[in-house]
Amino acid sequence: MEVVRADGRTPNQLRPLACSRNLLHRAHGSARWSQGDTIVLAAVYGPKAGTRKGENPEKACIEVIWKPKTGQIGKEEKEYEMILKRTLQSICLLTIHPNTTTSIILQVVGDDGALLPCAINASCAALVDSGIPLKHLAVAICCGLTETGSVILDPTKAEEQKMRAFAYLVFPNSPLSVLPKAPSAVDDEPGIITSVTHGLMSECHYINCLGHGHAACAKISEFLRRSMQTQLPGDLSKST
Amino acid sequence: MEQRLANTWRMTVNEKKFIETALLSDLRVDGRRPFDYRKLTIKFGREDGSSEVQLGETHVMGYVTSQLVQPYRDRPNEGTLAIFTEFSPMADPSFEAGRPGESAVELGRVIDRGLRESRAVDMESLCVVAGKSVWAIRVDLHILDNGGNLIDAANIAALAALLTFQRPECTLGGENGQEVIVHDPEVREPLPLIVHHLPVAVTFAIFDEGNIMVIDPTYKEEAVMGGRMTATLNSNGDVCAVQKAGGEGVMSSVIMQCLRIASVKAADITSKIKDAVDAYNTERALRKVKRHPPSVALEVSVPDVIMKENQVDELSRHRAQNLKDEPERSCSNDGTSIGVEISTSRGKNNAFIGGPSSWDPYSKGISSCFIRSSQDLPGPLYLAKEQEEAKISQNSIESDPEAANTLSSGPVGASVASQQANSPKSLKDAVKPKNRKKNKASSTSDMS
Repeated sequence: MEVVRADGRTPNQLRPLACSRNLLHRAHGSARWSQGDTIVLAAVYGPKAGTRKGENPEKACIEVIWKPKTGQIGKEEKEYEMILKRTLQSICLLTIHPNTTTSIILQVVGDDGALLPCAINASCAALVDSGIPLKHLAVAICCGLTETGSVILDPTKAEEQKMRAFAYLVFPNSPLSVLPKAPSAVDDEPGIITSVTHGLMSECHYINCLGHGHAACAKISEFLRRSMQTQLPGDLSKST
Repeated sequence: MEQRLANTWRMTVNEKKFIETALLSDLRVDGRRPFDYRKLTIKFGREDGSSEVQLGETHVMGYVTSQLVQPYRDRPNEGTLAIFTEFSPMADPSFEAGRPGESAVELGRVIDRGLRESRAVDMESLCVVAGKSVWAIRVDLHILDNGGNLIDAANIAALAALLTFQRPECTLGGENGQEVIVHDPEVREPLPLIVHHLPVAVTFAIFDEGNIMVIDPTYKEEAVMGGRMTATLNSNGDVCAVQKAGGEGVMSSVIMQCLRIASVKAADITSKIKDAVDAYNTERALRKVKRHPPSVALEVSVPDVIMKENQVDELSRHRAQNLKDEPERSCSNDGTSIGVEISTSRGKNNAFIGGPSSWDPYSKGISSCFIRSSQDLPGPLYLAKEQEEAKISQNSIESDPEAANTLSSGPVGASVASQQANSPKSLKDAVKPKNRKKNKASSTSDMS
């Protein structure tokens, strides 16, 4: 059974992606990522001296600050900060700058569904823009499960509210290898960095979502790679 | 504590001396004259009431929301206006999350005085039921980049957001006429706020013991300045607020001169804000005229996750990849698989002659009807938002008769009937003569 979505997309079609980097002058790195009407602006302030109390001083520490569009900061924002912090900790090389704090500040400019994946993509692009050493990039996608059991990618806010369940999935970006790979070769199990689910879904639905999400993330990482290659490094002299 | 001091940005003595000496000869570091503003750009988001202002390197975002609340007891028939300023840590390494510092509070108060206490926004029109429910307008100002002169930029952002904000219309209803019903923006047009005048803030930085005043200081000049004065004026020449909190003493003649300069600048900035708001309003009106499903993947030169042939098996869905709903649905309703790849990045006409790889006659039907539509339609055939609606209705008429000929399925006939009812008769004239006979034949067969 075919799912007809409100904005005319097919179940496997993403919204238009746009990424621009190096927007802010004071921040060490900044990026603006938009998926349709969901827009997030991320800024990175590179390694500052000292870690916070309770953090391991032998490693770098990542600090995430989430700024909603309006209203007070509540539990939801704190949860987003925690998820982002753990996700970004796993992709950064923490042992290069021990006893430092890297702050990532996110500002929600527009929210039309799939906010957390958009934020993760934005913060990844901002980290690249600021030159923080990373193992690989993290690419995030939201997969939703409709009432009928079919998987749709990148839902809007209206779709999210009607869905039975949805999952935010973060995968490492697909590597670009020099060796030619046979087109039918399947990678090993896709390594999932983060998975946050809302709602009730059965095991096979979840595995289905993982498959769809992994395929979509391959597309997003292609886009990410292309956008990073085409954009020239703007102002190389960033004074603090 | 030590780490905070280690992270603050400090100006070197050389830079300080350079800026001060240059100002003595009327030179500013970025090449401006003492009373020149930096480049001002005002942009709006998709929603009503969201604005982004860039003044040189300073970047501020404003966002207006409204809510029904109980009024204050001493003003039962007036709405409320509240300004919240967020000095985001992304703007400056010295800004910290959490409690707003004193400069954040000062900025909020200056803008508040200029807007609210000068009665720029009409509060009495926000009253719904006196004493019970009024509209509370909340303006959130997010400072994204601190390049200096935050007060002016934030003020412009607040004004631009308030001018483009529209609150939902509400009426009294219910049993005793006391219940407030808020109407959905789709049902009833939302109303803009009534703004009487635009109070614009102009900031001066004071150097050299009160002798030199410059407008619109950058953050480096702010670190060196001896004091600051902000004058909020409107284009009528009224002084809404003046803020000079400490700093160097300035002679009153210099202050009067500054106010005169500020009124000229305020008029200039007011006209810029009004131009930007007018441009946004016309664009919003155009958007509302033709309602269509929001188009997908138009502006971005990135192909979406398109069903490639090998992925199709994996994901088990064959569909005509189309950016138009109705013809797609009607043509492929019987479930025949058509694999058409469309990439919007590869130019406009190619999208319609997308490569169908199957032998299915439908694929030819779709592409030929697109070609026909491309010949019939006036103007360029790119998937511009404004023309999509017209094309959808035209294409549906042209493709449906063909589909009906080769396939007689119930849903197609029904959709043909519904779409024919919607479209005006003139569209049928656009169809070529050889199709007209098919139209008549199919319409009679479907209607029966």
